[in-house]
Amino acid sequence: MADNLPSEFDVVVIGTGLPESIIAAACSRSGQRVLHVDSRSYYGGNWASFSFSGLLSWLKEYQENSDIVNESPAWQEQILENEEAIALSRKDKTIQHVEVFCYASQDLHEDVEEAGALQKNHASLTSANSTEAADSACLPTENESLSTVSCEMPIEQTPSSDPESALEVNDVEETGEKENHCDDKTCVPSTSEEESSENVPTAEDFTEQPKKNRITYSQIIKEGRRFNIDLVSKLLYSRGLLIDLLIKSNVSRYAEFKNITRILAFREGRVEQVPCSRADVFNSKQLTMVEKRMLMKFLTFCMEYEEHPDEYKAYEEITFSEYLKTQKLTPNLQYFVLHSIAMISERASSTIDGLKATKNFLCCLGRYGNTPFLFPLYGQGELPQCFCRMCAVFGGIYCLRHSVQCLVVDKESGKCKAIIDQFGQRIMSKHFLVEDSYFSENTCSHVQYRQISRAVLITDRSVLQTDSDQQISILTVPAEEPGTSAVRVIELCSSTMTCMKGTYLVHLTCTSSETAREDLEPVVQKLFTPYAETEIENEEVEKPRLLWALYFNMRDSSHVSRNSYNDLPSNVYVCSGPDCGLGNDNAVKQAETVFQQICPNEDFCAPPPNPEDIILDGDSLQPGASESSAMSEANSETLEESANLQNSETSE
Amino acid sequence: MMAIRELKVCLLGDTGVGKSSIVCRFVQDHFDHNISPTIGASFMTKTVPCGNELHKFLIWDTAGQERFHSLAPMYYRGSAAAVIVYDITKQDSFHTLKKWVKELKEHGPENIVMAIAGNKCDLSDIREVPLKDAKEYAESIGAIVVETSAKNAINIEELFQGISRKIPPLDPHENGNNGAMKLGKQTTQTSRRCC
Repeated sequence: MADNLPSEFDVVVIGTGLPESIIAAACSRSGQRVLHVDSRSYYGGNWASFSFSGLLSWLKEYQENSDIVNESPAWQEQILENEEAIALSRKDKTIQHVEVFCYASQDLHEDVEEAGALQKNHASLTSANSTEAADSACLPTENESLSTVSCEMPIEQTPSSDPESALEVNDVEETGEKENHCDDKTCVPSTSEEESSENVPTAEDFTEQPKKNRITYSQIIKEGRRFNIDLVSKLLYSRGLLIDLLIKSNVSRYAEFKNITRILAFREGRVEQVPCSRADVFNSKQLTMVEKRMLMKFLTFCMEYEEHPDEYKAYEEITFSEYLKTQKLTPNLQYFVLHSIAMISERASSTIDGLKATKNFLCCLGRYGNTPFLFPLYGQGELPQCFCRMCAVFGGIYCLRHSVQCLVVDKESGKCKAIIDQFGQRIMSKHFLVEDSYFSENTCSHVQYRQISRAVLITDRSVLQTDSDQQISILTVPAEEPGTSAVRVIELCSSTMTCMKGTYLVHLTCTSSETAREDLEPVVQKLFTPYAETEIENEEVEKPRLLWALYFNMRDSSHVSRNSYNDLPSNVYVCSGPDCGLGNDNAVKQAETVFQQICPNEDFCAPPPNPEDIILDGDSLQPGASESSAMSEANSETLEESANLQNSETSE
Repeated sequence: MMAIRELKVCLLGDTGVGKSSIVCRFVQDHFDHNISPTIGASFMTKTVPCGNELHKFLIWDTAGQERFHSLAPMYYRGSAAAVIVYDITKQDSFHTLKKWVKELKEHGPENIVMAIAGNKCDLSDIREVPLKDAKEYAESIGAIVVETSAKNAINIEELFQGISRKIPPLDPHENGNNGAMKLGKQTTQTSRRCC
């Protein structure tokens, strides 16, 4: 490490998930000196998103159960007599039951790697751990030949339709090992090479043979950097806490968003679009005139249900689904309202829950588009990074690949006073914020966790094809049996910058009952068909084909109360990993609560000054006489704009 | 009225080579010896004419996240150009330049315009990096290169003019931002109409 870390801060934040990153930004904005570290090589922890090769590296880490305890200087001898240590965990135990299935044709003879090279060492520049980064892919030299070869798709090489025998996890590791042969230095592609290899295949393959756009595994690998695969699948409610915070703090300027374009429902084996906005309802072809009136009337009532208690008081004791039956709604409409608009449990949610959820959905409509949801370009994993940038802009110091060995507690005061990092450096601070996966078993011995079941699929077409192939959809598949939970399906198209052209990235999420595959595979089978089964020359298959699938369970600690951890000093704060919910309110609430404890009475993420307003020298914004007309034009434009921004701000 | 094109430019290079000073000179024509590392400025803007377009540069600074090699991938997203800075008086900073280029190729957009700036050329009496080396390297990666002095305002305008010239003209087939939106106070629609 070329540079040493300062040894004193106000707030040390361990973990770069969304809540930690928001807190880091808020503290830094309020003038606290913040050190923000993560033992991983990427931002976001379980909120991260990965390119395809990045995801493979991530998987490999969990499969190998990497127990690489790199020898760090012992911290024990640094603990003084009047001190105690709380050792932190060196191993992440939040991901389990990882299973990978590849259905796309794998051309095993080709040594394919991701063009442009991208590794789990996302942000790494160091040579210190370049051996780890060695699976950094080198540029394939035979790209052109490869893409033509793979289009032929030799049948004998396609995996069988049975997922059990489909090439699993091991193949993935093999790929990783192949990549290891590549020497770092020879990997740097020259510009010209890169351009030719990247531009040739995709565009032409698809335009020339639109019917045979069979995507092979090697294409996925090669176009791997087009993928940004989120570990958590969430959306932003357009009037949710996170959108409000992004706008208030001006962090929104670091990201771009797209509206979810469709709400879908899965009924009687078919996927259909749910009309939810006024325009949708009127334009809907699947609803009769009578249904349209019923639905409009009911939704209008939900918007202001609180003003008409007499209309629902009598039903407060029953479930929302029972209540819906008492309303003038056809079964079709009841289904839409319950599963696609309120998105609540059929068996467990009360009338009030349902009315509240429906109202929330309706209130979010129309702010940015025809559905209540937004999705960040490049994936949800961008958001923690955006808040980290805000923290850094206000002086926060960032250190990935930096682990903390222990917290040092002063016996007398009972407060935490320092950390000891992987280099044995002692760093003093007033407050310590720890993401809960960093705690050791000793600290968590009484904690009970829930689990989230996740699946990530790459498919070749949308679950509901329409004129536009660039739809972003959310679909809720209701629970079939009691005790299981509804499965949320989010389908992303390539213009969200999360998958390569010609593919869709599908995220499935539910509260776990069993392993992720056991929970989610039934839904996957209903909606998709494995790639190989359709090899018979049947171009008009009804279901989208599965090219690749990943299942895993992620620990859900969002409900764990701070008191369940053993012996935490009062100035050690805990952040949980992602929750199972669709929105991000939980993360924002957590962040605000912790921030208020660290900085009582301070504004939470106050907006920074506009860049145009930062005047380093009072005269410098005046166009100087000697400057060219271009310069003065430039400056006046700048001034005018900053004036506009100020106006809009003060008028709020 | 000429069309304004917003172009994101990200700055790369080791801590202390003068990245912020270059922006500061370009945007505000100002130089400060003790510029504090990038506090509070998330990005700075300046508009310059180029042909029949106006290029509005949104110049992103690293905010110090490069110091411990922790730049986030989001930093590179959607950049039209990158300015990679080294210090002509520090051979080391030229070495790491190559690593920054590699990083950029991994995370940056494919057709990003690369510009290499050998800063502190006012200190050429203690020069460690010959201009020839920089030129050879720049040529090998298809980047433009120029030696600059943020302190004496040498070649700073030229650096950005060079970038402007290398930005490809707007592709009429591409509908700009492919429907993505920026959220902000100004864009908030006030209509609360639902259903």
